[in-house]
Amino acid sequence: MKRAVQVLVLAALVIFGCWLWTVMFPSPEAVVRNRLNALAKTLSFKSGSGMISQAFRAQKAAEFFTTDAEIEVNVAGYDPVTMHGRDEVQQAAIMARSRLTSLKIEFPDMNITIDPGGQTAKVNLTGKADIPGERDISAQEFNFLLKKVDGQWLIYRVETVKTLSDMNVPGGGAASGLLMPRMSGRMPDALYRRT
Amino acid sequence: MILSVRRNLSGLAVQIMNKMETGAPAARFPEWLRIALVGRNPKRTLIRAAVLAVLCYCFFKLFVFKFIVLPVRVEGNSMFPTYHDRGINFVNRLAYRHADPQRGDVVGIRMAGPSVMLMKRIVGLPGETIAFEDGRLLVNGKAIDEPYLQHHSPAPPLDPVTLRPNEYYVIGDNRMNSDRGRIDRGRIIGKIAL
Repeated sequence: MKRAVQVLVLAALVIFGCWLWTVMFPSPEAVVRNRLNALAKTLSFKSGSGMISQAFRAQKAAEFFTTDAEIEVNVAGYDPVTMHGRDEVQQAAIMARSRLTSLKIEFPDMNITIDPGGQTAKVNLTGKADIPGERDISAQEFNFLLKKVDGQWLIYRVETVKTLSDMNVPGGGAASGLLMPRMSGRMPDALYRRT
Repeated sequence: MILSVRRNLSGLAVQIMNKMETGAPAARFPEWLRIALVGRNPKRTLIRAAVLAVLCYCFFKLFVFKFIVLPVRVEGNSMFPTYHDRGINFVNRLAYRHADPQRGDVVGIRMAGPSVMLMKRIVGLPGETIAFEDGRLLVNGKAIDEPYLQHHSPAPPLDPVTLRPNEYYVIGDNRMNSDRGRIDRGRIIGKIAL
């Protein structure tokens, strides 16, 4: 019995040591993942947040991007959006906060590829947005390109990925607005894992 | 009130445990039933049951619900009336392990990963030329019957599209309100089970 306890304690110590190692010296993939999760958290907001807090968080969100960042978002049911640079990102974040009462953004799946030099990263991810007033959750696939600037991973390009080749066909999908309210950017028949 | 009920219940549990530990037969249950329910040694039975429950949970959570069937919740009406909004279903990940997807199969299509998927029906197979004309599906120029449609919803027109060797054409059953398009085989996670 005593021996078993010793083995268990040793195993626990080894697991703790491994965990501590990954926390102290994270891999570039883990750093990028944490960075994008932090971006999702910064872009999300709850109702009742003050003007100063909103402006601060919008500025903080812009700091995740390079000064010459290019963002092209074309989500079903919404007008295509193109942004250049941090200022436009910040303006868009402020505008979103003024139009919506709350927003929850998550990136549940991330496929991260770091280039051999370790200076740029390509991330294919699913963006999930829970928008108030919309019955369903919006989901869209994106490609993010990041580069290391002064030791920090910054986003310099965001582009929408069309999961289906003919999304937004005339008269079809969310673009038709037949059964959905305007600006309902939901992905029809998205299946969400029950986690 | 709640506290007193709890105290009474815990008192009862203590009495039962005391009887079990002392080996005194429970007044209400015959010996064979007691053994069948809690075993000869209730403490060991409890530990065994707890370990079994944890193992079952881990087995289903880490293996069955990850690699065999994915439990999913349907969002949206593009597969209406075949599948309803907010319905619960499963994606069978093994369905296409030894077989290719067939026309009429409803499949789960991954985005960046399996956490969020699209649910669509396969109407075009690799190498075929697909078109929609007057709301009907044309495969290689011929209109085909679609027995899987519970309610015929005419699809918006589509000029002929020839699929590459690893491509499938998918669309929802509620065709006036569904995205559609070509997808690579690698995006198909599995077949909808129910």
